[in-house]
Amino acid sequence: MVELIGRAWDLGWPIMVMLVGLLIYFQATIKDPAHKKRATFQTMIGILCMFLVLIAVSNYTHNFNADTGMLPVSLVMITSMAFIMGLYFPNISALMKIGGFMFFVASALSGYGNWLPQVEGGFPPPVVKLDFQSMSPQQLGDEGEKIIFGGIGQSKTQGAIGKGQCPLCHGFQKGFLSERAPNLFGIPARASEQLKAPTYHMNDAAARNTEQKEAFEGSGTATNGQEYIAESHACPSCFVVPGFGVKGSNDTISPMPRIHKPPISLQLGELAAVDTWMYTREGAESPGYDAIVASYEKFIPEADRPKASEGDEGEGKGGNMLVDGTESHDDLFMGAGCPACHTIPGIEGATGKVGPELWEGTNAPKRMKDAGYAGKAKTTKEYITESILNPSAYVVTDYPDNQMPKDFGLKLTGGALSKIVDYLAALEEGKPLPVKE
Amino acid sequence: MGRLLIPLTRSKKRFFAATALFVAGVFLTLPIILSVTALAGGGGGSAGGPPPEVLAAQKAAAAEKAASGEGVEGDEAKIETGRDVYYKTEGPAIGMPAPVTADNETFYPRYNFESRVLLWVANQQHLYYGSFVLAVPIFCMCIEFAGMISKDKAMAKKYDQLAYDFIRISLTAYSLTAILGGILIFTFLTLYPAFFGYLSGIFRPVMHIYALTFVAESGVLYIYYYGWDKMREGVLKWVHLSMCVILNVIGTVLMFLANSWIAFMMSPAGVDEQGRYLGNIWHVLHTALWNPLNVHRILGNMAFGGGVVAAYAAYRFLSSKTDEERAHYDWMGYIAMSLGVAFLIPLPFAGYWLMREVYAYRQQMGITLMGGLLAWLFIIQATMIGILFLTTNYYLWQALGRMTGGERFQKYIKYLVFILVVGLLVFITPHTIVMSPAELKAMGGQQHPVLGNYGVMSAKNGGINAIIMTTILSFIWYQRGNKVPTVSWSKFGNIFMGCFFVIAQLNNIWLACYGYFIPANVRIGLSVPQVAGTLSCLLLMTPLNLAMLKGGRELGPIKWGQIPPRSQYAIIMLATAFTWMMGLMGYIRSSVRLFWHVNEVMRDNSPWAYTHTIGFAANVISFNVLFFWISIMFVFWLGTLGAKKVVIKGPASQPVPGGATPQPATSH
Repeated sequence: MVELIGRAWDLGWPIMVMLVGLLIYFQATIKDPAHKKRATFQTMIGILCMFLVLIAVSNYTHNFNADTGMLPVSLVMITSMAFIMGLYFPNISALMKIGGFMFFVASALSGYGNWLPQVEGGFPPPVVKLDFQSMSPQQLGDEGEKIIFGGIGQSKTQGAIGKGQCPLCHGFQKGFLSERAPNLFGIPARASEQLKAPTYHMNDAAARNTEQKEAFEGSGTATNGQEYIAESHACPSCFVVPGFGVKGSNDTISPMPRIHKPPISLQLGELAAVDTWMYTREGAESPGYDAIVASYEKFIPEADRPKASEGDEGEGKGGNMLVDGTESHDDLFMGAGCPACHTIPGIEGATGKVGPELWEGTNAPKRMKDAGYAGKAKTTKEYITESILNPSAYVVTDYPDNQMPKDFGLKLTGGALSKIVDYLAALEEGKPLPVKE
Repeated sequence: MGRLLIPLTRSKKRFFAATALFVAGVFLTLPIILSVTALAGGGGGSAGGPPPEVLAAQKAAAAEKAASGEGVEGDEAKIETGRDVYYKTEGPAIGMPAPVTADNETFYPRYNFESRVLLWVANQQHLYYGSFVLAVPIFCMCIEFAGMISKDKAMAKKYDQLAYDFIRISLTAYSLTAILGGILIFTFLTLYPAFFGYLSGIFRPVMHIYALTFVAESGVLYIYYYGWDKMREGVLKWVHLSMCVILNVIGTVLMFLANSWIAFMMSPAGVDEQGRYLGNIWHVLHTALWNPLNVHRILGNMAFGGGVVAAYAAYRFLSSKTDEERAHYDWMGYIAMSLGVAFLIPLPFAGYWLMREVYAYRQQMGITLMGGLLAWLFIIQATMIGILFLTTNYYLWQALGRMTGGERFQKYIKYLVFILVVGLLVFITPHTIVMSPAELKAMGGQQHPVLGNYGVMSAKNGGINAIIMTTILSFIWYQRGNKVPTVSWSKFGNIFMGCFFVIAQLNNIWLACYGYFIPANVRIGLSVPQVAGTLSCLLLMTPLNLAMLKGGRELGPIKWGQIPPRSQYAIIMLATAFTWMMGLMGYIRSSVRLFWHVNEVMRDNSPWAYTHTIGFAANVISFNVLFFWISIMFVFWLGTLGAKKVVIKGPASQPVPGGATPQPATSH
């Protein structure tokens, strides 16, 4: 408060001095006692009102960009000043009272606006066109770490996850237990060894027992370590590491989504960055950008390669939000990343096998009655909301806990969450699929 | 001219005058019409272009591309075509692409302050004044016409005086509008040169037409104002009124052209994905949201203009020294407020059309508005609509007090207050609230444990319809204030009206409650019978009431000027709320583009490409509102300086009790 008054004084001391001078002038020049009394009183009121205005202006300028919610205080001060002037200066009474009333209305509305929950639209992500080809292996590796873990140096952070979403299933540190998918530590050296596995059938794709024999017709199999990594990304079901197939498929189907397809949609340059990081972080020599890209071109036909505009540049949701609910249902689920792990009926490309299939209109009522259910939900929608925001509240049988990220609460807007919940709640087995936007 | 027309009959004089004016009007507007249609055929030449530095960079890139063997080979000229982003038609890409900006001083020169807020203030002030000066001539036209057809000569003179008062107020404001327009352009040029360069490139021919139209508007306005005394009798009075018609036609064209720029920014057309102009200026003008914006803005301007003039009258009323002055300004305030409210009532329907078109254009834009980032602002809007109706009712109840016989209705007002308050509370109760996931988690679900059970759409519709119906009832009581119907069927009419209101209200409340028991997609359909009931009350009961009062017994005169001063504060409240709501809705409309200068065509890469919090927006809107009112008060004061002393009398047919018999106003 003292600081505020100090700033107000600094702002308008010449005016205050002038008004005090006027007061002294009246004392010296006005002879009529009644007249002098009135002039003195009105000047005193003037000084008080001027001071209120200065405090109001000082508060306004000081708090303009602050989140203190103090700006309406300035309006209240000016309102008070206007009514005081209206009371004691008859000549401008109507004007000041009207002005005071308007300030009162405006300050009330401003206060109302400040009282409501404050929502700010974040900055859109900057448009950055990366030229992967001209990067050094170190730069390319850094970009790869960003894609996998969300930032440089984040690979050692528990739970860090980037656009590639790899840590959802894979382990990356030596000795780290990786239940859903192989631990990728040592993959540069191990890759060429895998080609010799009896079930791999190098150069003889037709002999494979997997559901999908080749990435596309005529693509063939990998013939070196880098091609093995590329094939694993582009066609995870072409070869399944024993023990990591979809439950009940006898390792003929992989639960991993194809990495160049939605929802992950990595471009060739990004894939080169990811692979480079896996080489460089172990001190191994990367085959180089061109060789890595060539290995992917072998397994991804040109028509299927994501274009730059389909990636993370262009329009964004602002802040850290994955989606904001304004997207179509397909884009919404893809943007949130659900199809990477779940099969969602009606959503194009949502054939993930890591998590349960989401017939939530049917599943939720049953699960809430389950003896092992420890959540608080009473309705289907509440159950789904709870499952997204607090996945450990109930873990579906045969699926491990802590698999699903627990930070969706920070990455979905309220509108997006609401739209996801509404759609999933309407999915009932044996009934028509809900209408999509 | 008068002598030439002497041998002609009065009706022939009118005919010739009207014909001459029509021809004059056509000549005035012909160049505009011709130029627009000519340009629609592609006569606009190349348009659109970034500033020189961007152009140079783009040329260098093109040269590099050519050198590397890509793109155009050699000097062979090749006309590229582009596909219209909205109309999906092919056209020659004769304009330059929208500049790709970056956060630096070249694209966004700046002071040590947020450029966006500076532009916001400059734009809003220009818009306030522009709206006011476009609305007032429409009022003048209506009032002058009412005076001309009035059989009561004294009343005719009073209307004439009122119209003159209106235009006098707007004249100083007109100069200020032009000055603010200049400030706005300088703000654009100095703070957003790349964006403004692109926009003015696309709209180059339209901007020139706009400037010429402004000149025409000024010319007609000055002739209209300064010719008031010279053209006050006979056929010249019709000529004078016709000048006002032309003035309003030009003003409307002016506004439509300005609207096309903001409509283009929201829903671009006539350009390809890169923002290159495709040679059809009509496509650029006639975008998806242009027409709904035009209609919405006309109505909004009228409501706002009515509010400003009513506030002027309230100010003059409160500072009046004589009963005559008070009577005159009481009457003026009543007329202006009535006009403002009359245009406020259809405004929500125009708003509904605009929103429907927004959803049709881009669904995500609609969701951002109504269910996403900007949804809380609509809660403020709902509150303000409630405030407007409550204040209107309050004014009408106060106005009943100046009528002999009005006291008959006073004892029922408390019931109306009850309905209005309950209706408002229901209306502003949200069902689903926009919130962060963390808040959602804390609440334990999507709906609040208590409020979540309420606030569904049918109930909210019920709330606002109850408020509007009550306002209609207040107005009907006001019409009956000092009159008693004497028609033979008055008893039947009263019972019928009473039953009609009760049934309409019960139907509205029943549907509001019924909505809780049916699915949401069916519930939406309940709004139709609810609104139908309200509109029936408005469109059937108001004329029926007038029919019943025709030739009715007067209990006493309307005692103009004898209304409590607090009623004038209700008018000021209305005017301030109009102004605030206009600022709020303008902010919402502009914010919905999020981080685009031109939606999906030119991205905003300035450091201010984010959406402010509601609180910040509310503070800036309040600043704009107060800045406008302080400046318009200055304009009012200037208006009083220039006015000659006129003996002001109360309205002729309802004299001020104890006052002198009203006389026709003297010269201006």
